[in-house]
Amino acid sequence: MKERAAIIGVGQTPYKSHHDYTIPELSQQAAMEALDMAGMSMDDIEAVVYSMAPSEFLGVNEPDKWCVDAVGGRNKPFMRIHTGGATGGSAAQAGFFHVASGLFESVLVVGADKVRECTDSQQVLNTIWDPVYERQFGLDTIAMAAFQAVRRMYKYGTTEEQMARVAVRLLQNGLNNPKAHLKGKITIDDVMNSGYYEWPIKKFDTCPSSAGGAAVVIVSEEKAKKLCNRPAWINGCSEIANTVFMGDQMGGAAEMDYADWDELAIAAKEAYGQAGITNPKKEIQVADVYAPFTVTDLAICEALGFCDKGESEKLNEEGFFDMDGEIPISPSGGSLCTNAIAVTALARVCDAALQVLGKAPGKMQVKNVSNAVATGIGGSFQFHTIMVLGSDYN
Amino acid sequence: MTENVAILGVGMTKIEGSKTDQKLDDMIFEATSRALQDASVTRDDIDSVVISACDELDGRCISSMVLATPAGSYLKDEIKVTDDGSYGVILGAMRILSGLFDLSLVVSWCKTSEAPVAEVMNVRWDPFYHRGFGLNHITSDALMAGAYLNKYKISEEIPAKVVVKNRKNGTKNKNAHLQEPVTLDEVKSSPVISLPIRELEYAPESDGACALVLASPRKVKDLNRNPVWLRGFGWAIDSYYLGERDLADSNSLRIAAKKAYEMAGISNPMEEIDVAEISDFSAYHELVAYEGLGLCDRGKAADMVEKGFTEITGKLPVNPSGGLLSSNPFTAAGLFRVCEAYLQVAGRANDHQVPAVEKALAHGSTGFCAQGNSVFILGK
Repeated sequence: MKERAAIIGVGQTPYKSHHDYTIPELSQQAAMEALDMAGMSMDDIEAVVYSMAPSEFLGVNEPDKWCVDAVGGRNKPFMRIHTGGATGGSAAQAGFFHVASGLFESVLVVGADKVRECTDSQQVLNTIWDPVYERQFGLDTIAMAAFQAVRRMYKYGTTEEQMARVAVRLLQNGLNNPKAHLKGKITIDDVMNSGYYEWPIKKFDTCPSSAGGAAVVIVSEEKAKKLCNRPAWINGCSEIANTVFMGDQMGGAAEMDYADWDELAIAAKEAYGQAGITNPKKEIQVADVYAPFTVTDLAICEALGFCDKGESEKLNEEGFFDMDGEIPISPSGGSLCTNAIAVTALARVCDAALQVLGKAPGKMQVKNVSNAVATGIGGSFQFHTIMVLGSDYN
Repeated sequence: MTENVAILGVGMTKIEGSKTDQKLDDMIFEATSRALQDASVTRDDIDSVVISACDELDGRCISSMVLATPAGSYLKDEIKVTDDGSYGVILGAMRILSGLFDLSLVVSWCKTSEAPVAEVMNVRWDPFYHRGFGLNHITSDALMAGAYLNKYKISEEIPAKVVVKNRKNGTKNKNAHLQEPVTLDEVKSSPVISLPIRELEYAPESDGACALVLASPRKVKDLNRNPVWLRGFGWAIDSYYLGERDLADSNSLRIAAKKAYEMAGISNPMEEIDVAEISDFSAYHELVAYEGLGLCDRGKAADMVEKGFTEITGKLPVNPSGGLLSSNPFTAAGLFRVCEAYLQVAGRANDHQVPAVEKALAHGSTGFCAQGNSVFILGK
C-alpha cells in the first residue's frame, strides 16, 4: 500500500441501555477516550469517518450529521459508512483508506448506536429484507441465524449443546471486560433452559440490544512512530459481499454454503496475503469476531482458517477457543455480550487493537499478541469484513 | 495530484419523475451494466465496488442487502458510504490510491417517486430542538435562501434567471427529467413553496441511477486507454446547527474547493475551469456555490448571472445538463454531476456539450442547507 497506517487510540463507552445520553454524546465520549489514549486532541484530527448502521433503531435519519459537532468534525472531511452489521468494520477500513491513500495523517473513526431505544429491533430488522420476495415471510435476524444453525446441524451434526458451549465461553469472557453489556458465569444447561426464540436459537444463543459508542484513531507511519510505543499496525483488510438470498447459498448450484461462510474465507485469504500471514493457526494469537449468535462464532473460526470445516464444534468443546486455549476467540465477550449494531464491528476492531497495543484490561489481555484479527458481518450474513492488526508492520 | 485515478466510463439511466416500469434493482442493474460497457470492462475485471445510497429514501433498513448485487458486488470487495453519491467517488478514489485496488465501480441511486421525501427529511432533524418545527429539506433550504437574500439584497430576478438557464439547458439533455423550458415570468409567478423559494426555483423529485468506473494508472496502462483523469477532489462538512452557520456563505464548500484546487493545481478557477456541474437543489444553492467555489467574490453571484457568465455560451457554463433544477435523484445527484463532468471532458455530452473542455468541475452536497460539500476536478 502507499502509506502504512496504524491504530494508536481506542475508545468505547460502557455498553448498556443508555437512557442518559444522546447519540452525539455517546459518540463524543468514545472519541475522547480514543483521543486520550492516542495522546491527541480533536484539533489534531484531519478527517472523520462516522460509523452508523440503520438509523431506524434510533429514530433519527442520518444521525451522523447531528454528531458532526460533537466529534470535532466541523470544517473537516467527514463521511458516513453503512454496511449493516458490518458497518464498524467497513468504517475502520474507510479510515484506513484515508491514511493508506496518502491523503491524511490522522483520522478518527467513530460511531454510536442506541438499539435499546427501539421498541422492537426485530420488527425493524424485518425491513432489511427484499420488500417483494422475502419480507412478508416475517424474516428477521434471529431466523437468519436459525437457518444457519439448522444448516450446520444438517451438514455437521451440530447439537444445540455444542452451540450452548459458545455462550458459556463468551459470557465468561465478558466478565473480564468492564465495557461488556451482558456477562456471567453460566452453564450449558442454563443456555438449554433459556427458552426458544426461533428454533433452535434460544435466548442465551442471542446477543442483546445494546447502546454505546466506539472509536479508533488511525494515523500514518510517521505519526504512529512518534506518538505510540507499540502501535497496532493495520497489515491487512478486506471485505466481501455475497448475495442476500440465503436459499441461493445451499444446494447444488450454490457457490458458497450458508453453513460455512466461504466468502469470509476468501476475504480472510486476501487480508492474510496483505499481512504476510501464511498459517493463521500458528501466526494469529487472538481474534475478536462478530458473532451475534452462538452458531456464527463456530462458522467464523473455520472461515478464518483456525480449523477445518465442521471442526469448530469439537474444538470449542475442548476449550481450544477459551482464554487459556490455543487461539482465544473474543476475549471481550464479543458480540454475544454486546451488540450496539452501528459500532459492533468497530468494537471488534477496538478489542483486537487493544490486544496488540497491550492495553486490554486485566484478564482480558492475551499474552504475547503479535497478530490479532477483527471481523464484522452485515446484511443477511452476506457482508463480511476482516482486519488483521500486527505489532510489526508487514 | 497527477495521473493517479482515472475514470474509464459512466452509465446513467434516464432520469424520470416516476419509473413505474422498473424496480430499484432494475434501475441499478441498468446503470451498472452501462458503466461497465462504456468502460469496455467486465464485472470479472472489477476488484472494488463503492455504493452510495440512503436507506430511508430506499424504504429498506440496509438497502445494499438486496441492491449490492445488481450494483455488481457479488463476491467483490464492496463498501457503502451513506452520503451524497459523489462521496462514492471519494472513497473509491482513496481505495485505488492506497494501491490495494485497480478497478472500481461506483454506484448510486434514488427512487424518490416511492419515498415520502419531506417526511424522511423531517426525521433527519434531531428530535429535541429542530424536528418539532416541522423543518424538512425545503423549509430548511428556505432559511438558507432567506439568509442569502437578506445579506446581499439581490433582486428576485436573479434566482429566477438561474432557473431559466438550467431549464433551458435541460431541454438539450435527453437524459433529463424536466425537458421543457420555463420563462422568467413563469418562475416569478410560480407559487411560493417556502418563503422565499418558489416552486420552479426548487429541484423536482426524480428517479435515477448512475455508475462510473474508476481505474488506477497501471490499469489504464494495461488496458491501453486514454481516459479522463480525476485531477483533484476535496470534501468537508459544516455544523449541524443552522444557527451556528452563516447560511449565506458556505464555509465547508470553500474548504472542499480549496483542497480540490490544490490537488489539481488550480489557482484561478474562473479562468482555468471550462465547465461546472453544481448541486443546485434550489436556485439559491447555485448562487451560494458560485461564491463558495471561488468563481466570484462574496455577494457577487448576481453579477455572474447578470453578465451571463454561467450560460452555456458564457465564460464558465454551469450545469449544461440542466442540473438538479431539471433532474434531482436526491442521493445520486452528486454522482450524476461527476458523470456529466466526465461526459464534458470526454467530449461526449452530445447536444449539451460545451466546446473545448479541458477541465471540468463537479460538486455534490449532503445534509441540510448543503452542510457537507464535495468538489471534483476532472481533466484530460
